[in-house]
Amino acid sequence: MMTSHPQPTKVRPLEAVRRVTEPSSQTVEDARYWSAQVAAVAARQDVDCFMRIYDYYAPRLLRYLLGLNVSPGQAEELVQESLLRLWRRAGQFDPARASVSTWLFRIARNLYLDSARGEPHWIDVQDGLEWLDRCEAESEGTSTEAFADHARLASAIERLPAVQARLVRMSYLESKSHSEIAQELGMPLGSVKSNLRRAFAKLQAGLRSAP
Amino acid sequence: MKPHHHLDSSTLIGYSAGSLPHAFRAVVSAHLSICEYCRAQMMDADRIGGQLISQQEGAILPSGARNMMLKRLAESPTASSAHHQVAPRVHDPDQLPEPLWPYFGQTYGGLRWRTIGPGVHHIRSRVVCDGHLMLLRIAPGRSVPMHSHGGNELTMILQGAYDDSLGHFAPGDVADLDCDVEHQPVTSPGVPCVCVAATDLPLRFSGWLARTLQPFFKM
Repeated sequence: MMTSHPQPTKVRPLEAVRRVTEPSSQTVEDARYWSAQVAAVAARQDVDCFMRIYDYYAPRLLRYLLGLNVSPGQAEELVQESLLRLWRRAGQFDPARASVSTWLFRIARNLYLDSARGEPHWIDVQDGLEWLDRCEAESEGTSTEAFADHARLASAIERLPAVQARLVRMSYLESKSHSEIAQELGMPLGSVKSNLRRAFAKLQAGLRSAP
Repeated sequence: MKPHHHLDSSTLIGYSAGSLPHAFRAVVSAHLSICEYCRAQMMDADRIGGQLISQQEGAILPSGARNMMLKRLAESPTASSAHHQVAPRVHDPDQLPEPLWPYFGQTYGGLRWRTIGPGVHHIRSRVVCDGHLMLLRIAPGRSVPMHSHGGNELTMILQGAYDDSLGHFAPGDVADLDCDVEHQPVTSPGVPCVCVAATDLPLRFSGWLARTLQPFFKM
């Protein structure tokens, strides 16, 4: 859970509210807090703010990459690369489109596919797709921030049936293909896909539900 | 090009998680490059990934990693002005979707088709090693033999169109098929149907082109 990051007391105007409301509002606050840190990096190359992001996310990105069977040395290098990209590209971060965790997940996954899986064109393709997203966001003039999404998503993940939660985790955190999951769990490929479909529908419904 | 047939959500998850085989990723990227709807769906899939990694307990970084990070920051100024600038895209009907360029080149005019049967041509990408990624060009008004798939198949229509029991598939549409679907596409009259297809296992043909196509798909 997003409760153990260091120095959580800064940039928290709703601290008092946070203590008395349900856990989801805490996640909203966390997402808002991390966005503020990135904004400070973009605005004034704030090293302290950057290192707060590092202290919280670097160990999590390392856990993620090790889970994908990346060797420890390469995983550590990819963690630094990911965060260095955040540092260099902080000005491109748009809190209306994604939270910091989504952004870092994309960066780390892209670097993983690029280097660990040896797909040299992947980063260019993803940069191109992100550019299209930015053009759309600008033309739509999106202004609402996506913080609440993550609170809803966190509770939707908790509510997933055990089998669906397991398949979602094996996909994301172990990077297992549908066929590999089917083989490992002795489950028909069609069932793996239909369970993932149901899980995605539930998580999306959770994302769109009223706060 | 506004697609009507979109990616299956299990495919979205596989792509977002980085677990989809390479050939399928190429087709998904091509579809995403022209489909705003699926890009928005993909953002939701990426949100799930972001939430999952932030919920995990962190691993322990080696001592010295933090100082190394600080050192690298000092050497790398932020470049908030360095937005990824891409030249404005001009729609050129001879161009393939950009994500396919590394596999097949940039233009339809530059493709070197190989005949594999009457009215059927193909080009197989040699870049992909897990699964098969190929372009297929099928003459107008032709029936592709009835086939099913031992694994998965993902096809995106690039030019022309076809119809099968699942509906009408026009440029931009994807047919994201499960292993148990048996289908017999019939290409529309007029222009040849060009599509890019990923498969993870050989197709099993039961129709009249079987002898011609089977050796190719088993490559």
